[in-house]
Amino acid sequence: MNPLELTLGIMTAVGGFVDISELVFAAKAGSMFGYALIWAFVLGTIGMSVFGEMSGRVAAIAKQPVFNLMRHRLGLKLGLVTLIGSLISTLITCAAEVGGMALILNYLTGLPYPLLAVASVIVVSASMWVLPFKWIERTYGLLGLMMIVFAVAVVAIHPPWAKLIGGAVPQVPSGLSSKELLNYSYFIVAILSAVLFPYESYFYSSGGIEEGWGAKDLLTNRVTCTVGFGLGSLLAISILAASAQLFGPLNVGPEIPGTSALEAAIPFGRVGLMLALLGMLFAVAGAAVETCMSNAYAVSQFFGWEWGRHAKPWEAPRFTLAWIAVMLLALLIVLTGVDVMSLVEYAVLFSIIVLPLTYLPLMLLANDKSYMREHANKWLAKGLGWLFFVIVTCAAIAAIPLYLLTSGGSG
Amino acid sequence: MSALGHLKIVSQLLDLPIIDKDERSCGIVDDVELEGRPGKEMKVAALLVGPGAYDGRMPAWLLWLTRQIAGDRMARVPADQIDEIGAVVKLKSCGEDLGLHQVEDKVRAWIPRKGAL
Repeated sequence: MNPLELTLGIMTAVGGFVDISELVFAAKAGSMFGYALIWAFVLGTIGMSVFGEMSGRVAAIAKQPVFNLMRHRLGLKLGLVTLIGSLISTLITCAAEVGGMALILNYLTGLPYPLLAVASVIVVSASMWVLPFKWIERTYGLLGLMMIVFAVAVVAIHPPWAKLIGGAVPQVPSGLSSKELLNYSYFIVAILSAVLFPYESYFYSSGGIEEGWGAKDLLTNRVTCTVGFGLGSLLAISILAASAQLFGPLNVGPEIPGTSALEAAIPFGRVGLMLALLGMLFAVAGAAVETCMSNAYAVSQFFGWEWGRHAKPWEAPRFTLAWIAVMLLALLIVLTGVDVMSLVEYAVLFSIIVLPLTYLPLMLLANDKSYMREHANKWLAKGLGWLFFVIVTCAAIAAIPLYLLTSGGSG
Repeated sequence: MSALGHLKIVSQLLDLPIIDKDERSCGIVDDVELEGRPGKEMKVAALLVGPGAYDGRMPAWLLWLTRQIAGDRMARVPADQIDEIGAVVKLKSCGEDLGLHQVEDKVRAWIPRKGAL
């Protein structure tokens, strides 16, 4: 294990962890429920570490990315249903990220939103064309590290640490009306969905294969999934905590992503604001790349096409056309004028519904000794895997009723 | 045929990715062609690859939709070309020789070959 590679891997995972949905739901959750939903981020991050580690291990040992497994384990019919569901949910997520980039650029430059959406897509697509996989991942992940300003801001505003740490324990705040209780439940589901987005494991496992992982990389995989994702999650928790401290008492509802940037502006002024906005921009741009490539990975792996950005774009031509098509479709969705916040809501809703179907085949293969040999799931991975499978299945069942009952958490 | 031995077609062969001897992706085992008679030993004669092999594997409306989008081409990989079956099906020869890269090569012609590191 190369320590430099490991450090870069962890930093990339930290900077690449947060996306537009986590930004939005963390800030809203903090403002509405104080520190009481920190545990949902903690739970989601443990789940993401469990499934991420499993998908990386399967990629390293069986050399199988998620969608190959899904097709083989679920069969053509159910596999196709899952593929279509995943493509739709990830496309909406990609559109939300593109819209998020345009919004943040709009705060920074004041230029028209549609123009900035087009410019964002051109720049991001050009980077995907020019850079090989490793550099795409690192560029956005490392630039996204500017979001550390949110963690520093939390320390600077002196939050009530006992309450903040107490938020990591699952709880139902006392004194909530039944309407507020439904909203609280909706936020639990939305946060779990935002942290456990299925595209993250498609991207992570495909990335492992792009980088040629083998048994020697299992420790890197484990450390990246635990330490990297854990530290990345701390950034989202920082946004929630600062929102609870600064916005909650004033009844400020952070309805747009830019509001979160004020959390760094309050203690650090203009520098804090710029670092927060730039960090958010690169984190969201990284998520746009990940969602776009994840859809191209999914469709290419499902139909057995050549895929990957370790190769030149013309060496995997259908994969290349697929990601270009996804990026253009995402841009078209944004240019229809649909609100970014609505896209974020739809993204978390669709994603949690397809999540169980994505994780089941992954878990079955990770349990299978004939493929995984001595690296098959042991009791801890099996236990945690099934526990989180039950949790995401319950969340998937509850998602639509809660969305309707709460009008997307605002009812 | 020795690569095949005794196997469970649905759980060990169907829907597995296929790679050729140069490790290039060549598609998925969409269906298999069997030879033999009822009561006798059945053997896998070939792997069928491509949307033309989806017949009977999905509802009629979905099959129609798939054919509209992807066409009905199908390549046949004789069983004696199979080198190994595991997490993937490995072939003994190049995908081109078996007609498995036709679409990929056609699409490749549309992609400009410049600008990438």
